[in-house]
Amino acid sequence: MAQPLVKKDDDRDDEAEYSPFLGIEKGAVLQEARVFNDPQLDARRCSQVITKLLYLLNQGETFTKVEATEVFFSVTKLFQSRDIGLRRMVYLIIKELSPSADEVIIVTSSLMKDMNSRTDMYRANAIRVLCRITDGTLLTQIERYLKQAIVDKNPVVASAALVSGIHLLQTNPEIVKRWSNEVQEAIQSRAALVQFHALALLHQIRQNDRLAVSKLVTSLTKGTVRSPLAQCLLIRYTSQVIRESGVNTQTGDRPFYDYLEGCLRHKAEMVIFEAARAITELSGVTTRELTPAITVLQLFLSSSKPVLRFAAVRTLNKVAMTHPMAVTNCNIDMESLISDQNRSIATLAITTLLKTGNESSVDRLMKQITNFMSDIADEFKIVVVEAIRSLCLKFPLKYRSLMNFLSNILREEGGFEYKKAIVDSIVILIRDIPDAKESGLLHLCEFIEDCEFTYLSTQILHFLGNEGPKTSDPSKYIRYIYNRVILENATVRASAVSTLAKFGAMIDSLKPRIFILLRRCLFDNDDEVRDRATLYLNTLGGDGAVVETDKDVKEFLFGSLDIPLTNMETSLKNYNPSEEPFDIDSVPKEVKSQPLAEKKAPGKKPTGLGAPPTVPTSAADAYERLLSSIPEFASFGKLFKSSAPVELTEAETEYAVNVVKHIFDRHVVFHYNCTNTIPEQLLENVSVIVDASEAEEFSEVGSKPLKSLPYDTPGQTFVAFEKPEGVPAVGKFSNMLRFTVKEVDPSTGEAEDDGVEDEYQLEDFEVVAADYMVKVGVSNFRNAWESMVPDFERIDEYGLGPRESLAESVNTVINLLGMQPCEGTEVVPTNSRSHSCLLSGLYIGNVKVLVRLSFGIDASKEVAMKLAVRSEDENVSDAIHEIVASG
Amino acid sequence: MLLAVLIANSEGNILVERFNGVPAEERLHWRSFLVKLGADNLKGVKNEELLVASHKSVYIVYTVLGDVSTFVVGKDEYDELALAEAIFVITSALKDVCGKPPTERLFLDKYGKICLCLDEIVWKGLLENTDKERIKRLVRLKPPTEF
Repeated sequence: MAQPLVKKDDDRDDEAEYSPFLGIEKGAVLQEARVFNDPQLDARRCSQVITKLLYLLNQGETFTKVEATEVFFSVTKLFQSRDIGLRRMVYLIIKELSPSADEVIIVTSSLMKDMNSRTDMYRANAIRVLCRITDGTLLTQIERYLKQAIVDKNPVVASAALVSGIHLLQTNPEIVKRWSNEVQEAIQSRAALVQFHALALLHQIRQNDRLAVSKLVTSLTKGTVRSPLAQCLLIRYTSQVIRESGVNTQTGDRPFYDYLEGCLRHKAEMVIFEAARAITELSGVTTRELTPAITVLQLFLSSSKPVLRFAAVRTLNKVAMTHPMAVTNCNIDMESLISDQNRSIATLAITTLLKTGNESSVDRLMKQITNFMSDIADEFKIVVVEAIRSLCLKFPLKYRSLMNFLSNILREEGGFEYKKAIVDSIVILIRDIPDAKESGLLHLCEFIEDCEFTYLSTQILHFLGNEGPKTSDPSKYIRYIYNRVILENATVRASAVSTLAKFGAMIDSLKPRIFILLRRCLFDNDDEVRDRATLYLNTLGGDGAVVETDKDVKEFLFGSLDIPLTNMETSLKNYNPSEEPFDIDSVPKEVKSQPLAEKKAPGKKPTGLGAPPTVPTSAADAYERLLSSIPEFASFGKLFKSSAPVELTEAETEYAVNVVKHIFDRHVVFHYNCTNTIPEQLLENVSVIVDASEAEEFSEVGSKPLKSLPYDTPGQTFVAFEKPEGVPAVGKFSNMLRFTVKEVDPSTGEAEDDGVEDEYQLEDFEVVAADYMVKVGVSNFRNAWESMVPDFERIDEYGLGPRESLAESVNTVINLLGMQPCEGTEVVPTNSRSHSCLLSGLYIGNVKVLVRLSFGIDASKEVAMKLAVRSEDENVSDAIHEIVASG
Repeated sequence: MLLAVLIANSEGNILVERFNGVPAEERLHWRSFLVKLGADNLKGVKNEELLVASHKSVYIVYTVLGDVSTFVVGKDEYDELALAEAIFVITSALKDVCGKPPTERLFLDKYGKICLCLDEIVWKGLLENTDKERIKRLVRLKPPTEF
């Protein structure tokens, strides 16, 4: 569509600069197009009119159906002219007009004639036009000519047919696939471009035939490839073959690696880069394989051409995600790119450096970035903020300089997304690095003093209400919060009132002063603010005296709503205002089953304020509340740990069941979440029959069946077992779902009276040692380790036998113990021969445990491990060794 | 896929715009994005010096020649290097047709020829011809010399 802003509409004074298209107007040009119908064609004039039409189309002008048809019909008359220049223009304008299927017939015969012309160039162009406008039926008629054209000795004709093939493959694959013999022949062509186009087409035809692709690659990597473009394609196809074939296990060699490495010395930069990228993306690439590729990329970092610098730093940035150590050699070159004029290059350089830098380089790096931040766009800044967040989590000891950096940029100008990224990062750092809490909260307080985004202010106030009272001097935050009540809009004021109330509830000594502030809010001009203030003044109680707040009130202020918000919304919508107040207990608590895809989505990355940090604990709280509300289990005491749900059925089966293992001191409770996915069935008396014959230390003590399980409404059934106290008993459990099934009439939704008893086999699951360990991180492992008395330290060495890799061994031991890896030590650099890993956790009985693991691997892949445990209880230290010894 | 070839004058007015596989509703966005990119970065850049940018998974290579700036946009196999190749062919063809780095007037005078060249270079998002000598002959319907 033509835009006045950008449309060429020049009115300069200088005559020489007048545009030949000055004042061009669609209607006038369409009038002019009538010259195409003249019996005596003026080729020159016709070409000019076509140029004007092209100009209009290239400006985004559109023709109506009638206009396009009229022009198209006139243009077809021009085939009568023998003027070569005009003919070339005619080919182009027909393609641009893209006539509809019923009009195409007018030119088909002319084009078919040209396709068989003795003039090569007529053939080539006719092929391109026909393939552009043709449909399937016409294609079968011209297929013979196209096959001939593919092997035509004129490279332009062959290329025209091959590129047409690539386009036609999308619409008529079965026809194009019949051309593979000809295409195969074209690959041997001496013309560089023909080979390039033929290779692309042949690969597309055969892309699902692994063997054929492998053969193609084998023959071409030995032969000659004439153009850099074709060479790039070949490299891409070669990496595909490598991916599918894997490493030769006997020699450890990777097929075709030599070919890729050879391409690093090609004279075309395009080929060098393609090869370097292919090498860096090889799965399980070794340092030896990686080094030559990194070396060439490093050279390009200092190239004078921005495209090459960009390509190099983009590739290295990707490598840094998986092999940060391999890129460290390039750090010096990369640092000079921070000041690159091209901001894309500079941002990529910075984020790469942030990934590869070590603890000692952080401060220097931050200094350089500070200068850079002021002149890049928000979208780049967000990338940098995210990189800094992960850097800080990697080096928690450096939180001070990184937190300072974040707070500085928080004060500068920026849009919502950027500010949100910074705030999210600070929140994540506060959550993961306890030492950073106080300074982080103060930075956030300063930010809300001058924050233009209501959403961020309310989120920060909410966060402050939860975290502020737990700090050493909570009173210092009150000023910032109350300032919001004075200065902000109603939404923020209401949030500030809630935050004040939270401080009042948690800190008894502050209560009188909070009361004074809350009373002032009673005169606010917004009703929500007044309502909240009234509510909190009444619930906090004590009339402003220094008294302890009721447990229930704290629960009310800090507890989660415990009801799915969607259910709450539906219930509120259904509520009719009446004498009877709305009863929150009437809101159903069942969560509607999520689609499976969503449930199995890989671990979400932390999202800062968006997902409150209390999610895991509130899940645990919710479980604890649920279990204590069941009389049979109420006497089990405090819940120690609940596992993540273990699926006991495959996806998309009739009944979806998963189990959560709840661990108590002397009991375990299996909590089965069941969903009935058959609309025509109602299940009743649903229970799970557990066979614990392979779990000797467990004896069943009770169960709670589910009365009714209608379609698509999740329900829960429980089975409880007793086990020896404090002992991490393990075992395997097999499960059978037992129920009475009743037919449901889908039209009325009513179930029949009589049901049939039935059973449904579920998968087995195990209780393992890791179920008795809660993942609890420490921010500074060394301090934690040294502050724990060495009396209960237990050290031993283990041979783990031949393993796949060091990383796999480390992972296995971490999973076996179920502990929290600290300081990023779970990541094993590729090809390292030894590795240390630090773990921390809380063992059943609430015993703190710290573990130091040292691994070593030898040439025959035998892995040895030294395990040092410190805990508050020597039995627990021994137990950790037993877990490893028996695992 | 080579998603777009766009040629603009020094004020950011569009002279040629060819999109491939870009939905009509996104074209306006691309047009203004590219024009802004040029306005921000092309000042004082030497003829034919290539600049590069990326926007999500899409790459952009652009340059200036005389009074006109050229942008090519691509994704997947048309990464910054392939685009650099494409823009090199386009600028060589422009120089060839105009005889020198074109003024806007010269560019518009040779508009028809330039359209033909672009038609030979990029066909529905695929790079078709890369040799300027050959392109010069092809637009006059002459077979390539090496043949």
